[in-house]
Amino acid sequence: MSNAIILFSHGSTLCGAGETLKALAAQMQQRGDADIVRVGFLNFSEPLFGESFDECVRLGATRITVAPYFLVAGYFVQVELPKVLSPAQQRHPHIEVRVGKAMRDHSLLADAIISCAQRAAPPVQWRHLLDSAPQWCRASEECPLFGTPECPATTQPQA
Amino acid sequence: MSSNHTTSSVTSQTASQPPTPDTALVVMVHGSPRPESNRDMFAVVEEVRARGLFADVKVGFMELNEPTIPEAIDACVASGTTRVIAVPYFLHAGTHVADDLPSLLEEAAQRYPHVEFLMGDYLGHDPLIADVIRDRAAF
Repeated sequence: MSNAIILFSHGSTLCGAGETLKALAAQMQQRGDADIVRVGFLNFSEPLFGESFDECVRLGATRITVAPYFLVAGYFVQVELPKVLSPAQQRHPHIEVRVGKAMRDHSLLADAIISCAQRAAPPVQWRHLLDSAPQWCRASEECPLFGTPECPATTQPQA
Repeated sequence: MSSNHTTSSVTSQTASQPPTPDTALVVMVHGSPRPESNRDMFAVVEEVRARGLFADVKVGFMELNEPTIPEAIDACVASGTTRVIAVPYFLHAGTHVADDLPSLLEEAAQRYPHVEFLMGDYLGHDPLIADVIRDRAAF
């Protein structure tokens, strides 16, 4: 018996945008929120939801909780999630699957906003996320940096 | 050095900028084609407002809903704010947080050179989000 949580998330075209979420999953697994915690992206970023589902099963999960990494249970949770969840369940019919709730108006979100405000930074630091994106470069044509001087894939000759 | 301050007038040059009573908070929200999707967010922001940490707390939408982020900033400045902390109510470090929101704040800083603008961390980067997810995944 092994429990898994998959953080179901929208992906991003910006390279590296999913790294924070992967770190969050690793942290949740380390502190024991579940035996296995993974991220499953709907699109753009990797791994995709179905791949993460398969990996959880391969690692021995018998019960998988899908945790929507969404503030609101809108279109992506209600319409797009079933489209990727159903095939995964058909591949692994013996796995017990539950879908958790979106974050909505959780009381800790107010604390999180205040905490984010306490880490506020002056203008020189506002683009540090964009500046750090090239280290995660996956040569994606969809990345907003693709083809710009900041993109390693399009500024350095391919070996 | 006493650590027993009742008021703080110290402006630190470090990355950590504590909220002060003369600071306005602008919560920068994506916006939704279904305005009812913003109901939970407004409840969360109301909770922040109730804490009384900021002189003013306003919501500004990046698209689809109003007021826009520039309009929310205008309103804060019109009511006398000299320092704005803008927090992205976004879960991902995508293009909006990395590029679009900084551009909006840079434009605001040019419009109001006498106002100090600081950009907060984005919501999804806060450590408390792990606890929110754990609670919402529990049955």
